Amino acid sequence: MTLLSLNGLTKTFETPTGPVHAVSDVTLDVQAGECLAIVGESGSGKTTIANMILGILAATSGEITFDGQALSAKRSAEQRRRIQLVQQNPLSSLNPKRSIGASVRLGLDVYDIGEKSGRWGVVEDALDAVGLSGDMRTRAPASLSGGQRQRVSIARALACDPRFLVLDEPTSALDVLVQARVLRLLNDLRVVRGLTYIFITHDLAVVRNVADRVAVFQSGQLVELGETTQIFSAPQAAYTRQLIGAVPVVDAAELNLRNKLAEGV
Amino acid sequence: MIRTLRILAANPLSLLGLILVCLITLAAIFAPWIAPFPTHNGAVVDFLNNNRAPSARNWMGTDLVGRDIFSRILFAYQISLTLGVVVLAIAVPIGTMIGLLAGYIGGWLEMILMRIVDVFLSIPPLVLAIAMMGVLEPTLTNAMLAVTAMWWPWYARLVYSIARGEREEGYVLAAEVIGAGAGHIAFREILPNCLPAIITKMTLDMGFVIIIASSLSFLGLGVQPPTADLGSMVAEGARYLPDSWWLTVFPGLAILVAVFGFNLLGDGLRDVLGVDE
Amino acid sequence: MSILHIKDLHLGFKTLTGHVDVLHGIDLDIAAGEKVALVGESGSGKSVTARIVLGLLQETRTARISGTVQFDGQDINAMSARDRAGLRGTEMSMIFQDPTSALNPMFTIGNQFTEVLRRRDPKLSKAASHARATTLLDEVAIPDPARVLGAYPFQLSGGMNQRVMIAMALANTPKLLLADEPGTALDVSVQAQTLTLIRDLVEQNGTSVLFISHNLGVVREFADRVYVIYRGNIVEDGPTDALFANPQHAYTRALMSAVPRITGAGLPEVPEVSDDFLAPRISHGGAL
Repeated sequence: MTLLSLNGLTKTFETPTGPVHAVSDVTLDVQAGECLAIVGESGSGKTTIANMILGILAATSGEITFDGQALSAKRSAEQRRRIQLVQQNPLSSLNPKRSIGASVRLGLDVYDIGEKSGRWGVVEDALDAVGLSGDMRTRAPASLSGGQRQRVSIARALACDPRFLVLDEPTSALDVLVQARVLRLLNDLRVVRGLTYIFITHDLAVVRNVADRVAVFQSGQLVELGETTQIFSAPQAAYTRQLIGAVPVVDAAELNLRNKLAEGV
Repeated sequence: MIRTLRILAANPLSLLGLILVCLITLAAIFAPWIAPFPTHNGAVVDFLNNNRAPSARNWMGTDLVGRDIFSRILFAYQISLTLGVVVLAIAVPIGTMIGLLAGYIGGWLEMILMRIVDVFLSIPPLVLAIAMMGVLEPTLTNAMLAVTAMWWPWYARLVYSIARGEREEGYVLAAEVIGAGAGHIAFREILPNCLPAIITKMTLDMGFVIIIASSLSFLGLGVQPPTADLGSMVAEGARYLPDSWWLTVFPGLAILVAVFGFNLLGDGLRDVLGVDE
Repeated sequence: MSILHIKDLHLGFKTLTGHVDVLHGIDLDIAAGEKVALVGESGSGKSVTARIVLGLLQETRTARISGTVQFDGQDINAMSARDRAGLRGTEMSMIFQDPTSALNPMFTIGNQFTEVLRRRDPKLSKAASHARATTLLDEVAIPDPARVLGAYPFQLSGGMNQRVMIAMALANTPKLLLADEPGTALDVSVQAQTLTLIRDLVEQNGTSVLFISHNLGVVREFADRVYVIYRGNIVEDGPTDALFANPQHAYTRALMSAVPRITGAGLPEVPEVSDDFLAPRISHGGAL
């Protein structure tokens, strides 16, 4: 079943030097329960697409449909609640002057979820669910490690009880051991809660192991879309091959595969 | 709070500032009880003892009508501090509000508000106050009004520049995605991040408000006789320099000590709270 | 002979509440022309090690440094601050993570080049420095050097600034180049080009490199030899091929198993942090 679809989505920014086509005529569907990776370098338009899905930016033309309903930037609270975000930088995504509990609770207050008196309990459960403990809710972000902060960001998104998460480079700023744990957590949450993900990243090795499908973007255009296994066995677009060719690898099997794919056999 | 004070006290200059500010505040509050001549704040005349040099009876001498200068300085501190607190209590919320709105909401609101701020900032403060006092009656209330009118734009600009930067932070985006209102984002998310800078500036400004208020009184536009005020005391005594030096030197020193204390404390707070200007 | 010889390097910081130990006796050697990587997670002590080699941390009042750091036979810890400063930008230089913020936005690239070149040769004329800079930019494959020399950093792309910084770092043909996560702030394809470029240039000049990174893949592609650092201790070291083919230390193995592979073995393992991570150092040899 299709949960989210982008139909001819276009975003043009007017600048003093002329219009910039950040996203040009993108059409794709995201199936309920899947993890779709959006891959591209700076200027590929991936963040602009995310911001349109989240309702932060209005599309210039084209439309977004979510669960059968048209979704514009001006959306109802209920529509907004269902799509949440986890950002890249766990340093800036939490307010340094608020306790992590207050940050997680925000969604509950905004959407008026549950009884007021029980909300701290819900916050503590949300922190427990991401592998932190509920009694950490009074702590300041500065007293947490990068991985813990990223878990708080995930808890904040989950507290709104969303169906769809936009993950914007959620592990790029983390060390490899921490990244492994956060990736597992995200994967478990998707299965247990029946969530759907758009996973924005430039790290193809991560994509290979977390995504069901991959959409490759270059200069605002969708250049390739396919099953992950297919992209990593027979990439079609030259740009996809170029990206795969740039992945740093750690073992011989990877090296062989990379060189084979990059040459476009 | 306790931690802030402890780090503050580790720096000798900040500690000195803290002590001076505390002493001045206590002196002002308890002036009626500490002052050797509590009645000398008002229209008292004692020609037997007028214009006396410092002595055991009058530590800082007496003025032209025989009032004890030390006592009058204590009472003058009362006025100076009240003036400072009232001015900041009005100017800071107004400036902060305008800065936050302009900085977070942006767009045409930013254009209009910040141009108004620019207009105020382009007029030299003392000139604006003198102009206002020329139109209004020279009373304490009007002095406060004049000083306030020229003070809020500085806070608007300070808060505006911080809010502009914070607006780009991830936590603001996070709150917007969740759908929090502009009020929540401005006051609950961004404002707490502006507070260290605001508190630091307020401390530094207490000193400046005292100087400006004294300057207005010196020009005869502020607090009116017979009420004791540091600025008017200096002005009255200036004609009798250098013979009756105590008439000007002690009130002048009193201004210096107050401004110095608040500045040291402000600088210390800036370091402790990690504010860059 | 060794360009950099580090023996039993300890580092601690004095804090308000007491004392924090950051490095617990690091041994590390770099031979002339050798590319050595120091790989570890954030907080492992890899960046402070670089700052000690550069002689920067020695100026920090709260830092307590002991042990030997010999650069080209001279003991860096025993030098005066002035002598240490004299080495930077001439005998040793540094490439940073984010090239755009490492260049001064107020000066043109050309002026910054002159500044760098005059550290070695104070009397160098403007014209001579311009000519030299043009050659250097040419070497890093910048198409229109004259235009770039007249430009300010913000007028150039991140990848272009990265090349400029590499050219500047190598301008005075230093004996040692320190590269702290070069290119991580850039796109993957630009990062790959950056690494190839640095490798080609240092091989051509015979420059030694201390390469600091948390990315095992990048390290494998760049370095001749690798040191793995964990919580201020070197836990494993050896020639890159040997170490990657046969990691022995529990921590190195944990790191390796956590790296996602493009061959697709599913989600990476999540190894538990264990006491074995603090086991003694394992060396595959290969050092001088």
